[in-house]
Amino acid sequence: MQSKLSDIALIQQTLAGDQSAYADLVKRHQRYVFTLAMRFAKVREDAEEIAQDCFIKAYRSLASFQGQAKFTTWLYSIVYTTSMTFLRKKRVATDSIDDENTFIQVEEKASAYDINNAENKSRSFYLNQAIEQLLPDDAAIITLFYKGEQSLEEIAVALGMEANTVKVKLFRARQRLKEKLERNLKHEAQELI
Amino acid sequence: MNNMEEILWNFIDGNCTAEEQKTITGLIAGDESYRLKYQELMQLNNEFSAMELDEPSMAFTYNVMEVIRTEHAHVPLKATINKRIILGITIFFVLTLMTLLVVVFANFNWAGQKSPVNLSLGFTMPDINFSKARPLLEGFLFFDVVLGLYLFDTWLRRRNLAKQV
Repeated sequence: MQSKLSDIALIQQTLAGDQSAYADLVKRHQRYVFTLAMRFAKVREDAEEIAQDCFIKAYRSLASFQGQAKFTTWLYSIVYTTSMTFLRKKRVATDSIDDENTFIQVEEKASAYDINNAENKSRSFYLNQAIEQLLPDDAAIITLFYKGEQSLEEIAVALGMEANTVKVKLFRARQRLKEKLERNLKHEAQELI
Repeated sequence: MNNMEEILWNFIDGNCTAEEQKTITGLIAGDESYRLKYQELMQLNNEFSAMELDEPSMAFTYNVMEVIRTEHAHVPLKATINKRIILGITIFFVLTLMTLLVVVFANFNWAGQKSPVNLSLGFTMPDINFSKARPLLEGFLFFDVVLGLYLFDTWLRRRNLAKQV
């Protein structure tokens, strides 16, 4: 049995011309990258396009990866910039990205969908639904912190922010997520009654 | 209220000092409101940690690698040539020419009277003594012959391979 190679070892093999090593790297991180892209794009097709673009960009500039930070931190910084560029290209202006009202439509659609599928819902379903209703930055920070195995400092590097800013944003994002989760569950309970 | 939550989240995330941890542990143990809030936040924390990642399509890796392969195939020949090889060849020829020039000028008999060419302007061709440079010239010619044979052999091999294909 071949032991699992580290990210750095796979990068070195890729730089030496072994493309299959990069395929392994893509397989290893595709779910994280795709999930993060989903937090911004909200649509599967768009998220897949962003994620694909990120891996291609990472491949092109792999030689410039210094190895000072984790590969994932470097990769997530690419995801963040690519997602933001994608959103801008989609003519979603920066002010509307930061505007929570933009996501009210998503919220309403999700609520309507809930009523028809009440029996099949678990708490994790509601959690995912609540994350979808968050602002992209909030959703990204929560995903990076809980699923991306990134510390506050690493998230700060990936998102190009100060560590303290990330700490405050994480706190607020958790509060908003908690509120949305409670509201969705309350709404669901009322519908059942 | 927010302050309590902030303190507890810091405690849960492990961003507190040892002293702060001790204080908060005491508060959770002794204060009912802290204990309840801590339990609530811990439950949320566990739920956040257990959230599932989204899965891209089955062909995701293949699609990425296909784009990379296509890009590689489109790289022009100019970009695939190793510039170090070109530089190496250049250095070799420059050094060879310089050496030859130095040897020739070192053996130049500027006051020579034995030039077979007698120019009408009173200029006599210098007498060049090749006796000292002979081993060097022989070595250079030998290297050229070996290089020529090597290149000829490579060309023959390629031609045979092309015929087989």
